[in-house]
Amino acid sequence: MKLARMLRPVCALLPLALAAAAAEDLVPLKIELPKPLFVGTPRPIKVSNLEPQQAGNPAPLLVPAGTALLSRNKPVTASDSLPVIGELAFVTDGDKSGVEGSYVELGPGLQWVQIDLGAAHKLAAMAVWHFHAEARVYHAVVVQVSDDPAFKAGVTTLFNNDDANADGLGKGSDFAYIETYRGRVIDARGATARYVRLYSNGNTSDELNHYTEVEVYGSP
Amino acid sequence: MPKTLSRWLPLALLTLAALALRTRDLAARPMHADEANQAVRAGELLETGRYAYDPRDHHGPLLYYGVLPVAWCRGQGTLAGLDEVTVRLVPALAGTACVLLLGLLAAPLGRWPSLAAAAFLAASPPAVYYSRYFIQETLLAASALAAFVCARQWLREGRARWAGAAGACLGLMLASKESAPLFALAAFAAFLLARAAGGPPLPGRPARGLLAGAAAAIAVTALFYSSFGAHPSGLRDLLGGYGQALARLRGANTGHEKPWWYFLRLFTWWRAGGLVFEEAGFAALVLAGFCAALARGTPLLRWAAAYSGLVLIALSAVPYKTPWHAVDLAPGFALLAAGAVAAPSRTRPGRWAASAAALAVLGMLAFQADRSARAYASDPRNPFAYVHSSPDVLRFRPMAEAALGRSPDGVIRVISEEYWPLPWYFRGLARVGYWDRPPADCDGALVIASADLAGAVRSRLRGAYAESYLGLRPGFVCVVFTPRP
Repeated sequence: MKLARMLRPVCALLPLALAAAAAEDLVPLKIELPKPLFVGTPRPIKVSNLEPQQAGNPAPLLVPAGTALLSRNKPVTASDSLPVIGELAFVTDGDKSGVEGSYVELGPGLQWVQIDLGAAHKLAAMAVWHFHAEARVYHAVVVQVSDDPAFKAGVTTLFNNDDANADGLGKGSDFAYIETYRGRVIDARGATARYVRLYSNGNTSDELNHYTEVEVYGSP
Repeated sequence: MPKTLSRWLPLALLTLAALALRTRDLAARPMHADEANQAVRAGELLETGRYAYDPRDHHGPLLYYGVLPVAWCRGQGTLAGLDEVTVRLVPALAGTACVLLLGLLAAPLGRWPSLAAAAFLAASPPAVYYSRYFIQETLLAASALAAFVCARQWLREGRARWAGAAGACLGLMLASKESAPLFALAAFAAFLLARAAGGPPLPGRPARGLLAGAAAAIAVTALFYSSFGAHPSGLRDLLGGYGQALARLRGANTGHEKPWWYFLRLFTWWRAGGLVFEEAGFAALVLAGFCAALARGTPLLRWAAAYSGLVLIALSAVPYKTPWHAVDLAPGFALLAAGAVAAPSRTRPGRWAASAAALAVLGMLAFQADRSARAYASDPRNPFAYVHSSPDVLRFRPMAEAALGRSPDGVIRVISEEYWPLPWYFRGLARVGYWDRPPADCDGALVIASADLAGAVRSRLRGAYAESYLGLRPGFVCVVFTPRP
C-alpha cells in the first residue's frame, strides 16, 4: 500500500512526460566531428628553455628567519643505484644549469632519490629541478620526509601529484607542472626529519627519471 | 653436406638472424607520427579498397599496398583491426630481403666476403631501426637491391627476362618514393664510372633488354600510381609529386635542414645527452674498402664505391635531411666494408686479421643496432628516433576508452596544432574529433589540448574538469581535461 501511494504521482506525470516528448519529437543530437588531417613529418622542436605557463616571477615562499640550505653535498641514494647517465652526487652538488653533466638519469618507471641530511632538522622548504632543457612534465611526483631511512615509519608526505596512485603511495591532489629553470618550490610546513625522498614515474618525453638538483631548506 | 646446402645455408641462417633482429618486440615502440599517418591510410585502403596517391606528402603507393597481404594473412580486414605488428612487418620483411639480396649482389667478391657484406647490412643500426619502422625507405632499398641484382644478371647472361625483372624492380622503386630516380641515376652513373676502368663486355642486343626493362618499369609504376586502374589521375599527380619532392630538397624552411656532415656523423660518432651511438669501426672498414676499390678493386667494388660516393654527395648536398636516408647508404657501405675485409684475405695472416676485424665490427654493429632499435627506440638522444612520439602516447587510448565507458554518448575532443599519432591510437573509437584551434564548444567526455591552446580551451569549458599532463613527443606537452564526477 505504501509503495502504491509513493508511485501515484509518478504514474500521474508519466503520460504528460511522454506526450511532451512526442510533441517535441526529441532525437539524439548528432555532431559532425572533424576528421584528422594527414600531415608530413613533424618538425623538431628547438627550445633551450620554455616557460609557457606563467608570466613574471611567482610569489616567494615565506620561511622562518634563519632558514639555511641543508642539503648541499649531502649523501644521496636511489632506487637505481647505478645510473647510466650522471652520478647521484649531482642531486646535491649545486649545479642547476640543466646541461649535460649536471643531471643524473634514473631508469624507466617508478624511481626515487633520497637525501640524508645527517641529522633531523625542522624543514621549511624544498626546491626540485628534474630536467629543464625542454618542456616536459614528470609523472606522479611525490615528496616525503622521515627519520626512518627505509621510509616505513613516521613518513610525512609534503607533495603528491600522483592522481592515479601510480606510485602506490596513495592518491595526491597537488598539481602536475611543466619543468622550467625555476624548478618547483615545495612548502615543507615545518616537518622535522633527517631523510628526504622524492619519487617520480617517467615523464612526458620518455619513461626515464632525472634530477638536476634538489635543495632542502630548514633550521640548521 | 651437399654442395648446394653448404653454399646457401650460411646466407639462409644470416637472413634468419636478420629477420629476428627486425621482428623482435615489433610492437613495443610507440608509433611515430609518420608511421601513424601512413598506417591510418593503409587501414583505410584495407577497409574500403580505395587509395589515391597524394602528391603533397606520404610518398608512393607501394607501402600501403604492401600492408594488404600481411593483413590478410593475419586475418585483419579493417582499420580498427589493424595493429602495429602487421604494418611494421612490411618493412621488416623488406629489410630482411635486403640482406639476402645484398648477399647475392656481393657474390663476385667471393663466398666469405659476400657473407660479410650481408652480415654488415643485417646488423647495421639504421637498416635494423628503419626495418622496424612503417615508412617507405626500406622498401625503396629492397627494390633497388633487387633491381641491381637483376640488372647484373642481365649484364652477365644477356637474357631479356632479367632486364624485364630489373625494370619491374625499378617500377617498385618508383612506386616506393619520389626520391627513387636519384638512386636509379646514381646506380647508372656509377656503372658508367666503374666501366671506364674496364669490365666485362655488354650483352648482345642491349636494345631489346632495355626495351623490356623500360616497359616493365612503366607498367609497374602505372599500375601502382593509378591505384590499379581505379584512379588514373594518380599518374598525372606523380609529376606534381616530383615537383614537391624537389621543392623539399631545396630546403625552403622545412624544419629538417641539417649541415652537410650529418650523414657522416650518423655513420661514425653521435653523442647526445651522455649517450653515444657509434659505428666508428664500420666507418673505418668502409673507408678502407673505398680506398681498395679505387686502387685495385673489382668492377663490383668500383661500382659500389662510385654509387655510395654519389649518393652520399647528393644526400649531403641538399639541406633537407632526415635520418632514414641512411638506409639508402647502408647497402653500399656494407659492400665496401666487405671489400676491405676481402682485400687482405689472400694470405693466411691477412685472413685471420680480416676475420677478427670483421667479427669485432659486426659485434659492435649488432650491439648498437639492438640498443637503438629496442633499449632507446624512442629516446630523443637516439639519432634514428627522429622527432619521435613519447611513450606517453600509449596512455591516451585507455583514457579515451575509460571516458567513453563513463559517458558512451560523449565526445572526445583533440584540440591541438599537432595531434599525430593520436588518430592511430583512437582508431575504431566512435565520436573522436580533431581541431587545430579551439572550437566554440570545447566540452567533452575527454578533452585533449596542447599546452599552448590549453588556456583558451580552459576558458571555454563549461563543466568542471580535472587536469593532467601527457606528452605527445619531447617538448610537446598536452593537457588532458577529464570531467569531474
